[in-house]
Amino acid sequence: MTTVENREMRLGTIIGWDGSAKELIKQSAYDDRRDGKKGNGCGKGCGSGCKLCEIASPLNQETMCSNAIVQCQIGNLTDCVLITHAPIGCDGETPKFNLTMHMGLARRGKPQQNTLNMSTNLQEKDMVFGASEKLRAAIRLAKERYNPKAIFIAMACATAIIGEDIDSVAEELEPEVGVPVIPLHCEGFRSKHWSTGFDVSFHGVLRQIVEKHPVKKQKDLINIVALWGTDWFTDLLKPLGLRVNYLLDNASFEEIRQASEAVATTTFCETLGGYMGAALEERFGIPQVDAPQPYGIKGTDAWLRAIAKIVGKEKEAEAFIESEHKRIEPKLKKFREYFKGKYGMVLTGSAYAHGLITVLNELGIKNEGALVFHHDPVYDGAGKNQDTLKELVETYGDIPNYTVSKTRAFQLPQLLKRSKTDFLIIRHPGLASVAGHLGVPTFALGDEHIPVGYDGIIRVGEILVGVLARTKFNQALQRHVRLPYNDWWFAQNDPFVLSNDEHVFDEIEERLKNA
Amino acid sequence: MSEILTKPTEKKKKKSTAISDVRYACAVGATNTVVAIKGAVPIANCSPGCQLKTTAMLTFENGFQGSVAAGGGNMPSANSTENDIVFGGIKTLDQLIKSTIKIYDGDLFVVLTGCTGELIGDNVPDLVSKYQKAGYPIVYANTAGFKGNNLFGHEEVVDAIIDQYVGEYKGRKKKGLVNLWFETPYYNQNWRGDYQELARILRGAGLEVNVLFGPENPGVEAWKKIPKAQFNLVVSPWVGVRNAEHLEKKYNQPFLHIPEIPVGEEATAKFIRQVVEFAGIDNKKAEEFIKQEASIYYYYLEHFSEFFAEYWYGMPSEFAIVADASYALAYSKFLADQIGLIPKRVVITDNTPEKFRPAISEYFKNNISEGVSIDVDFVEDGYIAEQLVDSVEFTGGKPLILASSWELTLAEKKQALFFEITTPSSETLIINRTHIGYRGALQFLERIYSASVGGK
Repeated sequence: MTTVENREMRLGTIIGWDGSAKELIKQSAYDDRRDGKKGNGCGKGCGSGCKLCEIASPLNQETMCSNAIVQCQIGNLTDCVLITHAPIGCDGETPKFNLTMHMGLARRGKPQQNTLNMSTNLQEKDMVFGASEKLRAAIRLAKERYNPKAIFIAMACATAIIGEDIDSVAEELEPEVGVPVIPLHCEGFRSKHWSTGFDVSFHGVLRQIVEKHPVKKQKDLINIVALWGTDWFTDLLKPLGLRVNYLLDNASFEEIRQASEAVATTTFCETLGGYMGAALEERFGIPQVDAPQPYGIKGTDAWLRAIAKIVGKEKEAEAFIESEHKRIEPKLKKFREYFKGKYGMVLTGSAYAHGLITVLNELGIKNEGALVFHHDPVYDGAGKNQDTLKELVETYGDIPNYTVSKTRAFQLPQLLKRSKTDFLIIRHPGLASVAGHLGVPTFALGDEHIPVGYDGIIRVGEILVGVLARTKFNQALQRHVRLPYNDWWFAQNDPFVLSNDEHVFDEIEERLKNA
Repeated sequence: MSEILTKPTEKKKKKSTAISDVRYACAVGATNTVVAIKGAVPIANCSPGCQLKTTAMLTFENGFQGSVAAGGGNMPSANSTENDIVFGGIKTLDQLIKSTIKIYDGDLFVVLTGCTGELIGDNVPDLVSKYQKAGYPIVYANTAGFKGNNLFGHEEVVDAIIDQYVGEYKGRKKKGLVNLWFETPYYNQNWRGDYQELARILRGAGLEVNVLFGPENPGVEAWKKIPKAQFNLVVSPWVGVRNAEHLEKKYNQPFLHIPEIPVGEEATAKFIRQVVEFAGIDNKKAEEFIKQEASIYYYYLEHFSEFFAEYWYGMPSEFAIVADASYALAYSKFLADQIGLIPKRVVITDNTPEKFRPAISEYFKNNISEGVSIDVDFVEDGYIAEQLVDSVEFTGGKPLILASSWELTLAEKKQALFFEITTPSSETLIINRTHIGYRGALQFLERIYSASVGGK
């Protein structure tokens, strides 16, 4: 199978929910789902699939798609080409991923290069007559231009609707070009959440690049499913005698190929890493690290211990943990004093948010609210210690206003109204600039490894000092610039009132009826 | 055409239309044209990802211009799902329109339908007409990505607003009132500053300027005023000509098409005289303005001439430019004709419609400056564009390359002075900047020669 089942089907992912974190943990029933049992479903008697209750929103806004995720993952490989089989617009974000590529290469100490990307640049007549011939020509051209180690084909909405058979074209052309030609079914409309795009990317490399018969094992190599962050995992894992193998951004064909030779797989974010980790475990017996994510002191300790157990370095780990605790203690104490009485709010993808909120708690910053763009009640091949939300709430307490909503910036006034916060930490474009209008400074977290590990707590603390100072800018902006919403909207308290109040559109409907 | 495009290896096989390193968004990116009108709200009827991608291309990776009001993260978008594709997306769009009207402060709503809605055949006109009949200021435009790029989409949106919102007009025209059709909003990184400079120049010349986009656009009332104008002024090699032709038919309104955006005193004075003559207004005010602006311009230029004469650490003498038709033409003309930089390669990347290409080629061949002539290449494919610049053998020190961020690594390879003047631009932050007219030309010189001082 070249396709991956969508997250909403596979994991029960939702993109609309509002309540307390504790309640969501209960409804998610992580352990039951892990055991293959059905979770606590929505509504009476839990219908088929036992889906979590989900709030549908009539209003959505600019957001990301699975195709964009493929471009940010596969499009950032150093020696493989990504062909987006689509009209030109689907390549709109490639300049941004090119900038990301340059940044990532610099962070990882690799030579600078542009991304290797192509668009089949489809026109109206292609929609009528089909575009497979153009795809064939593009594959040949990719080979001629870049002599890549592999060629990926990304499906898009338009090509999926007209029924382009990228699997057949890939299979047909592979012998001719002599390198793997890998179809990726990542059309934007397919999954309601972009994170399916991660799974599609991993699925593609697992099928056609990762070594299927790993004869030699690299006992000191650990896979880190990551994005483009700075190489801080080496600092954490070198004491255990491990080398890191980052997947997928900025990776080469060879680095992906050797993933099946590694000793374990871990990640900075279970949302991102679950599929790859589970597949490597299932197919090659490479264990996923069954531990909390490496955030905060308790989490990082447990994560290191779990890895140490896999590689038989328990003693080294304990010594390292002890010395690290001592090393960061004075700085941490200072920060906890500095941030006393401060509130923060995290707006990111799901598991990563849990990590960030952990770090804020370590810094002594309280969290009354949080916004995650999706919620996965369980992760692929999840271990019993990987329930990130439960780990968070059990360690640091409940988050009363825990909202699941996919990049709906219009809800920010209500979210900020009901939860105290002095700043926001945001990933994914579009929200930070909107939130910035509301008088609160925002920290757009681009280098995803900043909060990882013991030093991650300190790094976040240092950055937040600067972020809080920027409140001046946001207050000035708030004094003079208004968001595009009307007074009625600003007066609302429920961010989901458009979904929850059945009479909300009565007036408009009346007017339409009488026209 | 240059030798690279016709090398034998490319001739053998069926030519691929695939391109690397894109330099524009697709038609549905014309949501940004709507954002450029004060009080207008775009409603993107397309897949998730579409608007984030166009935003990335046009407002972020393009001088980090940013957006305003209902643009960027605030933009309503249908984010079509599999369900919409299978069962039709009209219900989703209906809910989206309803909720947008409910919570946004909007004077005009523009529904832009992308690939999905167009391919599955949703009857958007029918749905939107229900809202129109109920008195809501709302229009729709067909902007599927497979129909064209964001420049095409821009023209579609302009016509849609004119036909469905501005509507019929039989009244009188106002002498001296001109509708300004100029850059595609957000596409050129300097568009905001350029609109202000051009409007300032036209006002200086004695005209009343109807500014339809950007910082000086007063809102949708400017659009209602369109039919009252004496004439339409199109300042672009091709974008907007289609709209002006439409207005000519619709409102019996003549238009003046000036392909060259004026840069520098001489070009701007010529531009003003051409517009004033077409308008048939008294030229006294215009001539006074030209005189005053010239005196200031040359006051600065004389100062600059000291650097130009005395700087003995070297400066560029040749340049290559990779950009859209408007700016490739405007900047090349200024550099070749007013500064004396030698054009070595001009690549136009905006997929200029075929019918406009001969005139643009002719301009570069015979009209750029006395004694200067160059063949231009029309290439949308970044890989070929890069090869065309790479193959130039520059002489006489470091050349100047004016292009996009895709050319950054190439510029390093060629040891060139480099800065970004076109989409995408990720090494430049722009708030209020112009390189056109009187004031902008001097800023342009500052930018070029700042790139060459300090041991670079």
